[in-house]
Amino acid sequence: MTRLRRRAALAGAALLAGGALAACGDNAGTAGGGTPTTGGTIIYGHVQEPPCIFGGWIQQAYISRQVLDGLVAMADDGGIKPWLATEWKASPDGTKYTFTLKDGVKFTDGTPVDAAAVAWNFDYWENHGGNSTAKVSIDPYYKAAKALDATHVEISLNKPYPPFLPLITQGYFGIQSPTAFKSRTEKENCEKPIGSGGFVVKEWKHGEEVVLTKNPAYASWPATAKHEGPAIVDEVRWKFVADGVSRYASLSTGESHVVYEVPTVNWKDAESKYQTIRYITPGKPVSFYINTKVGPFSDKLVRQAFAYGADRKSAVEAGFHGVIPYEGNPAVSQATPGYDAEVAKAYAYDPAKAGQLLDQAGWTARNAAGVRTKNGAPLTIKLVYGAGFIFTQEGSTVLQVLQEQWKQIGFEVKLIPATQAELWGGKYSDPSTFDATPSYWTSPSSAILWIVWRPSTPDNPNFSNRSFFNNETLSQTIQQANTEAEAAKANALYGQAQKIIQDDAAGIGLYTQNSTYAVARNLKDVWLEKSQGEPVFSDAYFTK
Amino acid sequence: MNQVWRIAVKVAASVAVILAAASVTFFAQLAVPGDRATALMNLQTGQEKLWTAEELAPLNERFGFDDPILVQYLHYLTGLFQGDLGTSYTQKRPVADVIGGQLPPSLILTVAALAVAWLLALGMTLLTVKRGRFLSGLGSAWEALTASLPHYWVGVVLLVVFAVQLRMFPIIGGTSAWGSVLPVLTLAIPLAGFLGQVTRDEFVQVLRQPFVTTARSRGMSDLGVRLRHVLRHAVLPAITLSGWALGALVSGAVITENIFGRPGIGQVLVTAVNTRDLPTVSGIVLVVAAIYVVANLLVDLAYAVVDPRLAGAR
Repeated sequence: MTRLRRRAALAGAALLAGGALAACGDNAGTAGGGTPTTGGTIIYGHVQEPPCIFGGWIQQAYISRQVLDGLVAMADDGGIKPWLATEWKASPDGTKYTFTLKDGVKFTDGTPVDAAAVAWNFDYWENHGGNSTAKVSIDPYYKAAKALDATHVEISLNKPYPPFLPLITQGYFGIQSPTAFKSRTEKENCEKPIGSGGFVVKEWKHGEEVVLTKNPAYASWPATAKHEGPAIVDEVRWKFVADGVSRYASLSTGESHVVYEVPTVNWKDAESKYQTIRYITPGKPVSFYINTKVGPFSDKLVRQAFAYGADRKSAVEAGFHGVIPYEGNPAVSQATPGYDAEVAKAYAYDPAKAGQLLDQAGWTARNAAGVRTKNGAPLTIKLVYGAGFIFTQEGSTVLQVLQEQWKQIGFEVKLIPATQAELWGGKYSDPSTFDATPSYWTSPSSAILWIVWRPSTPDNPNFSNRSFFNNETLSQTIQQANTEAEAAKANALYGQAQKIIQDDAAGIGLYTQNSTYAVARNLKDVWLEKSQGEPVFSDAYFTK
Repeated sequence: MNQVWRIAVKVAASVAVILAAASVTFFAQLAVPGDRATALMNLQTGQEKLWTAEELAPLNERFGFDDPILVQYLHYLTGLFQGDLGTSYTQKRPVADVIGGQLPPSLILTVAALAVAWLLALGMTLLTVKRGRFLSGLGSAWEALTASLPHYWVGVVLLVVFAVQLRMFPIIGGTSAWGSVLPVLTLAIPLAGFLGQVTRDEFVQVLRQPFVTTARSRGMSDLGVRLRHVLRHAVLPAITLSGWALGALVSGAVITENIFGRPGIGQVLVTAVNTRDLPTVSGIVLVVAAIYVVANLLVDLAYAVVDPRLAGAR
């Protein structure tokens, strides 16, 4: 299953309280479970193989996090911590950030990680098509990056943008060696990007695994690391095992030590046998974009009826065996700083209310099949979903349950499974091709709202706004929130924005996006990077 | 002279088949709804949206997506004749490399599966046909059951029983010999059932032929009759089907490769189709077409060996 994930962010304190990072402790807990050893090979079972090691796709961020270092890192409480930058300071007006870099850090090709290299990377992402997800995260605010001297780099913005720091903790912002990048072929850069990280890419056996070996000179671990110095293990074999049954089973035979995306049906078993980690990624949850422009959903009453008309919470709990939490807030997930829990409570299952709203909207008659009609036209909803990648089999089951419930109140919901090629090729981009489509976008900040809900205008189209929801108040509110220096005020504004989206039913919540892992009991200190939930292996060690 | 002419025609026909396959793939990929540059942008970002013309321009420029279709087609064919399969849009490396790395494991898997399927089918046929009601019935039932089993199911059952429970084989076996046993069986078991059914019917027919009675009356043993006379006739339909089976195995290989975390062309093809990576898709289709052509030539040859009358007839 492909994960689109985008950014996530400050895993706020609320999120932690919610058990976002529940390192379900097996009793071995911290150090008590055996004698630590050095060396060894961690075998990690991942789901999907990306085309390149770095890029703007979450699948790429997962691996590049092992190889490339970022400027700053995010702590468990959402705080921003040093990484390649030891300190930074924002200008009083909030439009300039000056980062001081760690002295003497070298890329694995021997060239220095200096201010010029960092500035080159920002320029590459923003102006040379280097990473469109990095670009879209900071785009409207980013102006330029400039090296002041060898160890000081200045990033200037058009407007104050406090989410800038959390956003650049994402794996997309990993710093590469410009020297290596410019002197090598595209293939070499794609397969073996050169960073200053804890591991280097030794070999990519396509279709099978990426072999990462430790960088013995690693000197630039983040402040969030669990130990200082190079990686403790010698090697990580990053295997691609698409099938959930085999991926999970490989733990029991010792063929792997860590697996990603534990099938929810195995979760209870995993909790009893391994260390488990479940992280609710911040950002946009898996929620429906509702086409507000064309079709039956251009009427707000019908959108609201759709939201009331199915017991989404129960369907999610049943479909995912209680492992993946329901998320009623369509705009941001409960792990996102600025999440408004009140907003999430709207549209609790109420079929009677849904019926009233539909009557009010003029969908009063019913045809022979029990589908509501208006002027003879049936209330048919085209629900397009990414089958096999955004939605696994379990997710598809949830949709089928919902379809049945919507039928009771008179909606004929056509579930249209779309292949990756169709969805990515743009078959369902036009407003005339669908009425609702679910997707997610991980991001460590509520600034995701601007990416997803910014109005689309002819001059400045926003194709990420898949609800085609152009609301000026919403736009103003998010922009105010984005530039608001005081966190509490910013969050209040973000809360208002979520309320506007929810009240208008421009989106309908479904479930949170999660990173789940099972880790062998003799492997300690595997932890998740906070902005997007990538596993970090440079602190991990085996015990005897 | 006649011989040379026949070979020339065969080769020309083979080239035509491959060219046709390349062309069909090229146009079929273009016919898939959606825009290639959009798909590539979405792949790079994990999104599913439209992009502005400015955002797409560099990709269009670079891969020539804006050129007239005919120009793209000619460009593609020219490359082909020069032995250049192009560069993968997504992996940024030559398609020949992409395929070269993934083809051997898939070929080994499918050819081994075909061989094992034949062994299983023949064994089953020789041991159970007309061996009394019970054995015959058991044989047919086994074949009917296995022939209809989906690869995914067979794979997971083998995995759970032999890899997880009995720990006899690795789950993620890669391309090691031991690790190939379960993937090969996953593909071979349903195919063996299918080949067995065909062979069994033919076998039963042939056993009733007068020459079988003649052979027996000469005092030939039952096994001798079966091996030397009956089998030779009975396998002909199954040989014909083997050319087809090779194609079916490639599709089964995708699933098997997924389950056992095995590298292979199947998985690459699926990914390439999903990402509209046209050079890679075309390259793989070409190679598979070439394998088909070769397989069918081999089937012809095998026919001639098994049934010399056919060789004489040419």
